[in-house]
Amino acid sequence: MPDFSGIFFNNNIGFMIDILGEFPAMKIGELREFKKSIDGSFSEFTGEYGEAIEGFFDPLLWFLVWFEKLLLATPWPIILLIVGSLAWAGSRSIKIASGAILAFIAIGYFGMWEDTMSTLAIVSVATLICIFIGIPMGILMARSKYAQTLVTPLLDIMQTIPAFVYLIPVVMLLGIGKVPGLIAVCIYALPPVVRLTNLGIRLVSKEALEAADAFGASYSQRLFGVQIPLALPNIFAGINQTIMMALSMVVIASMIGVAGLGVPVLRSISNQYLALGLLNGLAIVALAIIFDRVTQEYGKRLQKHRHGDHS
Amino acid sequence: MNSKFIKQAVLAAVIIASLVYYTTSEKDEAVVIQIAEMNWASAELMANVDKIILEEGYGLKVELVPGATETTFASMNSKGQPDAAPELWINSVREPLYKAMKEGTLHSENSNPITDLGEGWWIPPHTAKAHPELKTVLDVIKRPDLFPDKEDPSKGAFVTCPAGWACQLANANLFKAFDMEAKGWKLVNPGSAAGLDGSMSKAVDRGQNWFGYYWSPTALIGKYNMVKLDFGVPFAGAEHWTSCIAKEECDNPKQSTWAKSEVHTVVTDNLKKNGGIEVSNYFKNRTYSGVVMNEMLVYMGDNQASGADAAIEFLLTKPEAWKSWVDTATADKIKAAIK
Repeated sequence: MPDFSGIFFNNNIGFMIDILGEFPAMKIGELREFKKSIDGSFSEFTGEYGEAIEGFFDPLLWFLVWFEKLLLATPWPIILLIVGSLAWAGSRSIKIASGAILAFIAIGYFGMWEDTMSTLAIVSVATLICIFIGIPMGILMARSKYAQTLVTPLLDIMQTIPAFVYLIPVVMLLGIGKVPGLIAVCIYALPPVVRLTNLGIRLVSKEALEAADAFGASYSQRLFGVQIPLALPNIFAGINQTIMMALSMVVIASMIGVAGLGVPVLRSISNQYLALGLLNGLAIVALAIIFDRVTQEYGKRLQKHRHGDHS
Repeated sequence: MNSKFIKQAVLAAVIIASLVYYTTSEKDEAVVIQIAEMNWASAELMANVDKIILEEGYGLKVELVPGATETTFASMNSKGQPDAAPELWINSVREPLYKAMKEGTLHSENSNPITDLGEGWWIPPHTAKAHPELKTVLDVIKRPDLFPDKEDPSKGAFVTCPAGWACQLANANLFKAFDMEAKGWKLVNPGSAAGLDGSMSKAVDRGQNWFGYYWSPTALIGKYNMVKLDFGVPFAGAEHWTSCIAKEECDNPKQSTWAKSEVHTVVTDNLKKNGGIEVSNYFKNRTYSGVVMNEMLVYMGDNQASGADAAIEFLLTKPEAWKSWVDTATADKIKAAIK
């Protein structure tokens, strides 16, 4: 029997069908080589620079270890006092301050004190780092359209890429422990403070800026005297979101060896311990609510002050 | 009644009828066997090889379901699903498994599906070479200074199992039994399988010392030629191991070698009764040698092959390893199918 397949596939329609039937993907072998070459060059990179990069983060590690030890060594009544007074200072609300103290008493009563202190340590350091990196980044974005077009997609990636994807290179580069955990948390928690700083500064009214210019304000006077103070409520909303997201990353960070409330949660997942998971999950929620209410109230107070007696 | 309504009603009836036909006809087609595909490489390979051989060789319909030792066993024990666990490490589930086997709800078809396997404490080959005096666990725990912990360099780091794994309890109890805390050691929880792998491969790649728990056969052990340490003490006995060392509450753990690992291929009563004698014989004959398994695991690691890819590679390139598991006619059928 004559073979017509050659004729058929030389013909344009046959070619079209061939292309449409199956996606013209890379060959399996090529794809494998492609993936292998990326992996190979990354492991070469970690071999070459891994130790130097690890060394760069050493001071951060010492600070984290010191801060965690400090929280753990401080007697619990003093921690309760600090928590209560910080909550009061932020919110000026007896309800929130006493709620925070009660939540910490419950956490301690159910035996989660040490894990909670570890979590507090990493979340507070992560938040500080995010603020130090995020606010200048947001200001830069607000001042330059070019920076905004460059940074926005980066922030999108940071917020949506599954955490497990960047855990792999972070672990290859820095191993397991607090610093890689902190980096993973910051990648996820940084975007809100950047975005809202940018937004807040862009929302400052033209009139205010014109007035500042009319008084002959210098560049830095305009930025620090007008734009940032007027953007503060938005910046605070960003910090609030950053803290929330840092707390939600606690469990993921525990997957690469960060001590804290995430460890018992992981244990309860693999062993189906309902109560253990629930208790520790609720402790994370309690921390989140305290942080959220306090920063929100603080943000509101900032706003009230500016609007004068309108309310 | 307007015609639009009738049209819609007829359409709905047709859809429902076809759905009913479709679902019932599928049910009649073949019994679906569920095989647990555990979340590590050797078990992925075994589950996929079983799938191909049972489907192509014996005409069964096989569905792979993801699993992990404890959850899969719990599900098989209580619900009879999945039907088979090709590589079940029974140390952590020994008591309930023996009970179920006595009652006849579960059966062990193969008590040695992979030879030369086991859990234990390992060091990298370069550490063993640089410090030939480190022959046993007893030698290593005298030298915490060689394995400094990153977060607290005054202590030695012993990398244990991720929190929640059964081996974590045994490691913690042995840690206590060898009095390692007083000797300057710290238990480091890697958090997850990825964390454990990452901590080991990072250390070995950079030529650093590493001391921790792992098991064989695995791609990492094969790839890095990790050295399994003798514990330097005898096994404390199965009774003490199961009732104390492997338990959370163990007040007085004794020093012991790690319990010899037992891996079984476990099937449910349903599969044993309804799967046929050929399937049962296949499971009985199916034993991978440790060497072949390590070769396959290194292949999977090097080529980033999934369990399914590796199963085909195994069946294509190592017929001498699996031909004897099935009769000649079945072997030919399988060979023809994967070509």
